[in-house]
Amino acid sequence: MIDPFASLTPLIEAVEQADTATALLVATARLASQLAGGDPPAPAAIAALVQVLGFNNPGAAVAAVDGLIACGEAAVAPLLDNLDAHNYGARAWAVRALAGIGDVRGLELLEQALGGDIGPSVRRAAARGLGQLRCGALPDQERRDVLERALTALEAAAADDEWVVRYAVVVGLESLALDFAPETGGSKGEIWERALRTLTLLSQHDQDTTVVPLRANQALGRLGPAA
Amino acid sequence: MAGTTDPDSGITAAGEPIKEDEALQRLRQTDDQSLQYYAAWWLGRMRSRHPDTVPLLRSALRQRQPRDPGAGVEHNAVARNAARALGKLGDGGAVPDLLAALEDDDDGLREAAARALGELGALEAVEPICARLASGLAGAGAPMTNSPKLQEPCEALIEALGAIGVADPAVVGVIEPFTGHDRPLVRSAAARALLQLTAEVRWGEVLLELLEHPQLQVRRAALMDLGAVGWRPALEPISATLAENSLKLIALRGLVEQGSGEPGLEALLGAMDDLL
Repeated sequence: MIDPFASLTPLIEAVEQADTATALLVATARLASQLAGGDPPAPAAIAALVQVLGFNNPGAAVAAVDGLIACGEAAVAPLLDNLDAHNYGARAWAVRALAGIGDVRGLELLEQALGGDIGPSVRRAAARGLGQLRCGALPDQERRDVLERALTALEAAAADDEWVVRYAVVVGLESLALDFAPETGGSKGEIWERALRTLTLLSQHDQDTTVVPLRANQALGRLGPAA
Repeated sequence: MAGTTDPDSGITAAGEPIKEDEALQRLRQTDDQSLQYYAAWWLGRMRSRHPDTVPLLRSALRQRQPRDPGAGVEHNAVARNAARALGKLGDGGAVPDLLAALEDDDDGLREAAARALGELGALEAVEPICARLASGLAGAGAPMTNSPKLQEPCEALIEALGAIGVADPAVVGVIEPFTGHDRPLVRSAAARALLQLTAEVRWGEVLLELLEHPQLQVRRAALMDLGAVGWRPALEPISATLAENSLKLIALRGLVEQGSGEPGLEALLGAMDDLL
């Protein structure tokens, strides 16, 4: 029998055997770019990329996250099953990958990460991800529930101590509100209003930056005159 | 107890947040220096505005104590943290004490004092800092015989000159030799200060080269330096360099808040969004 993933095997091996930071980066980028083609991704390739997230090699991790995002849904379960409770760098990359994929199965993890993770880089990635969950295909009520939960988590994080998390909350709220197409009628009202209210607060004052209000004002501008 | 505190983590060894009056009380007593050490840090971090804060920190700045390796406390720990806190509190009344600390035998205390004077924009500090650096690469910039440190805390002294911002040719002339220092972190500090003082593109280009340095530690320093200056032409290289997104975001925030001109806000904020 022909292994449909045979062409990936040497690329996976190169990732597993890389013995310098640069070799790992190059091998990871090669493997990731092969996965962007659209064929169903090989589980072994996904596993190799998930492993790279824990290697404290930012360049390779960026490439691995890109590759995992390109894998889409297929990467969600391996990411959720392999979270490393003791390595917040690795968790941040996993949350980033899940945020980029936007699968609603990641909702609970993103909520927990934004509300309780000690790593600001994890909370930051989670805030962004909560704004870009792909829930367009869900039934209306379910979709509203998902957005409501994402919004509630973002509202709470608007008071985060770290400026970069508040910045990410702005970005999350903006994309959540922009994603909320006007034609969804009745359900738009409350979620839209709440997102705008928090963005308005963030646009008026920030405890130690000007970049957060600047970004919030930009978001309000993009949300249009209705904002 | 608090001596084992990581001053940057915001977490006490005991894990308990304290209140302002408690911090002042801890700084006021002198029996337990580790309590003072933490209190000094706390008051700076929290930007305490209490009328007792600056006077207490100024007297803490005059405290001296030997290193106590057992307790994990650095040499003159209380004084160093007091200097750092005074830099954050923006009270010019502390400048004379910090100028005195700049002449201390302890180079770690000189370093903290220089940074604080830079944060306070203390014009009075320009001359004494230049005097310390004037001996150049062979003097201030030479390595100590028994330690990896340099004769003077060059990075802190140079960065302070950049922050204070007196663009006098004499000041520029004192800093310039350090762009040829063996150590990339010193070159980075010098290029940062010169870019702040002269706005000459060539100093920005030195920092861009350092962004491609093989050592991550050097790339990180160049990121922080570009952010401190707010040099916007660095947007693309900052986004592209191999380093943590957290540091790139701090650098780009600097470009937004400290910089001006092109690339403009749309491009800068868009690049920040991509790094979240």
